Amino acid sequence: MSDPGSVSGGTGLEASAAAGVDQLSHVDDSSQKQKKPRSLWSDAWGELRRKPTFIISLVIIAVIVLMAIWPTLFTSVDPRAANLDKSLQPPSGDAWFGYDLQGYDVYARAMHGARASLLVGIFATVLTVLIGSIIGIFAGYAKTWIDSVLSRFADIFAGIPFVLGAIVILTTLNAPTENPSVTRIITQVVLSIAVLSWPVAMRIMRSATLVAKQQDYVKAARGLGASPLRIVIRHLLPNTVAPVLVYATIALGAFIGAEATLAFLGIGLRPPVVSWGVMISESRDYFQSAPHMLLFPAGFVTITVLAFVMLGDAVRDALDPKSR
Amino acid sequence: MSRSRVAWVALPAALALTLSACGGGGGGTTSSGNENPDGTVSIYGTEPENQLLPAATTEAGGSKIVDALYSRLVGYKAEDGSTYNLMAESITTSDAKVYDIKIKSGWTFHDGTPVKAKNFVDAWNYGAYAKNAQQAGTFFAPIAGYSDVHPDDEKAEPTKDKMSGLEVVSDTEFKVTLSAPNSVFKTMIGYTPFSPLPDSFFADPKAFEAKPIGNGPMKFVSRTPNALIKLERFDDYKGEDKVHFKTLDVKIYSSQETAYQDLVAGKLDFMEALPPSAKVGEKYKADLGDQVLNANLLGQSAIAFPLYVPAFQNVKLRQAVSMALNREQITKTVLAGSYVPADGFVPPGIEGYEKGVCGEFCTYNPEKAKQLLQESGFTGKLTIQSNQDGGRKEPLEAACNSIKQALGIECEFVGATNFGAYRQIVNGKQLTGMGRSDWSADYPSIENFLNPLYRTGGSSNDSNYSNAEVDKILKEADATADSAAAIKKYQEAHKLIAKDLPSIPTWNEKGIGARSKNLLAAKLTFTRDAELAAFRVKG
Repeated sequence: MSDPGSVSGGTGLEASAAAGVDQLSHVDDSSQKQKKPRSLWSDAWGELRRKPTFIISLVIIAVIVLMAIWPTLFTSVDPRAANLDKSLQPPSGDAWFGYDLQGYDVYARAMHGARASLLVGIFATVLTVLIGSIIGIFAGYAKTWIDSVLSRFADIFAGIPFVLGAIVILTTLNAPTENPSVTRIITQVVLSIAVLSWPVAMRIMRSATLVAKQQDYVKAARGLGASPLRIVIRHLLPNTVAPVLVYATIALGAFIGAEATLAFLGIGLRPPVVSWGVMISESRDYFQSAPHMLLFPAGFVTITVLAFVMLGDAVRDALDPKSR
Repeated sequence: MSRSRVAWVALPAALALTLSACGGGGGGTTSSGNENPDGTVSIYGTEPENQLLPAATTEAGGSKIVDALYSRLVGYKAEDGSTYNLMAESITTSDAKVYDIKIKSGWTFHDGTPVKAKNFVDAWNYGAYAKNAQQAGTFFAPIAGYSDVHPDDEKAEPTKDKMSGLEVVSDTEFKVTLSAPNSVFKTMIGYTPFSPLPDSFFADPKAFEAKPIGNGPMKFVSRTPNALIKLERFDDYKGEDKVHFKTLDVKIYSSQETAYQDLVAGKLDFMEALPPSAKVGEKYKADLGDQVLNANLLGQSAIAFPLYVPAFQNVKLRQAVSMALNREQITKTVLAGSYVPADGFVPPGIEGYEKGVCGEFCTYNPEKAKQLLQESGFTGKLTIQSNQDGGRKEPLEAACNSIKQALGIECEFVGATNFGAYRQIVNGKQLTGMGRSDWSADYPSIENFLNPLYRTGGSSNDSNYSNAEVDKILKEADATADSAAAIKKYQEAHKLIAKDLPSIPTWNEKGIGARSKNLLAAKLTFTRDAELAAFRVKG
């Protein structure tokens, strides 16, 4: 299981974010001399189009997103229709992934499980990036003492081990006798992931802002009397958002893994919700006699995480001018 | 029995807590070969939690040893848990309230001192006295004067140190007066806390703890903490349950899996339960073949309808749900054959069990179920609540699916994180749907499957069931001195309860143990223990 704290983004991204922003201005300057002015983004796009890893990961992600939106495109079987006569049957022509203990079709459940897993991943990422970016850009741009306070505050959260933190949060929010509703539990899982992961996004944003703040065009804008809000939105944000986006892509994969981890521990999503993590948690006792119950949902988690990490890597390479 | 001793099954292993008696259960296996009467048998054990005193230990690891070291007034018969006189010469009563107990003379403790009536009375008083803080102290609660030596309020000082209901008449006779008529007292005294203790214990308890002296078929030799407890045959033993081997090695394991590997390899001779991994796909059958041992257990699984939820007051709905449950299929698949479908509120293998008391209402019949559901007029969603750990979720989720398919209404399993949390919901009468209500009896008597569960205000009456007629018959049965007549009364109550269906019987656990190739024969008891007297070692 993955720990989003260890997302390859972390400190590496932070350093490259600073360097990247430093280079940005030069790229912009030099592009003036070319016939057709090209922005960082169109440059990156040209680079990405030629990368096979980018294409492959994009295709995988597209399929999984489609699965999440219209699972019925892939299967007509009800994921909650149990047939005990088929309990633990291995993969066959009728059920490509076999049946689980309750006689549910594993293939149908894997298709329907994409939605919950992906929803948690997307919401957690959006929330992490939003909180992290806002606090990061504020800390980077603001005067030093606010920066120090915010950074130390983030360090507190960064210091909590992810799994331990999530266990504490989720078990505190739900008394053992309670049976939280589906939306409530999804919200809680998303919130606990975001609360424990935002410092990474914040650090990346902060270091990018610190560098961008020193650029001449920012100083010029300030000299012309632009308001801080305008400087942040018009000048800083466009030049600092790239490293955070790279982090977000990689983190999305990691958060899907985190969902599976929490469900496995019995504190994340739980039945009757169907998610890959729930499927893995249900199959742990039957691995010896029915390995297909575990291997297929685990495979989906792995492939999805891999696709997002690959995508993130490709985007980072394309956005980092130094690597060209 | 007080609430604290009520053994609700949290984990299958908890079943083993309830009783540890010298009795026999279902199946044994034998194979031909020469017998070695002085052989060694090694059995699976867990580190005892407390000292090896009869009333100090209630958990499986310790009671296994205590059971071998001490013999009680009565023993339990292999077939149905009915009692026979072991140390008792006779137990007579006219009103099920005052019992006159005569003991056999000529029995001695392992140190050679004779076993007298006084040894029983002293041991029982010691066990009940609150200040001695014996785990099984509450087992003495039916005896008159118990509240004086063990007040309900834990902080209160006991006013006396002897129960007024116990009276020594002579060296071989004593009288027990109960606080209320109780026809199953004769059965209860087969349980380990009712063992006698020698005078040497009262002289020096500390020294005794290090080397316990009992009156049972085995005597204590040595103990290596967390590794081994060695017992040896007591050659002057007078009881019927003499053992046919010399040394008993109780090997302490921290993992059932390891023990299972040793058993398959022939390094361990007996296990009373098998690890879950061996049960999946019935792997143990391939590993062990005819070395597998089976027994009926004292457990009864059921799903209770909380009658304080208005919808469940409709008996037709209760019947519909019960008939929508495919017990046969669930026990075979999800429960991997370690349970058998239940056909009443009392498990087979209990004296007084009758076949098919629940009748057609406990037989899978989706058409009839659907018809009954329509008649009941119920629409909406059903839920089954339980703790979800310890493998409790899977069979109940399957039960819900079975109900859903047969009745065409929604059914959902609702899990609480752990057993304690779930019992909190049940005891607080906060069930909103059906709830798991598995019962493991404290002693092998039909009474223990009815009184605590279905009597108005019973300690574990999860359904909040109340039927004046049932209460009346149960009360009469309790006060009937003749045990055969008492059982008839209990059976009558059982049938009335089956008509009302306050909970639906689901399945009964089958004990599955195994012996090694080194043994010619072994037997598993209904208490999920080894029947020591049945061991035969290969020569």
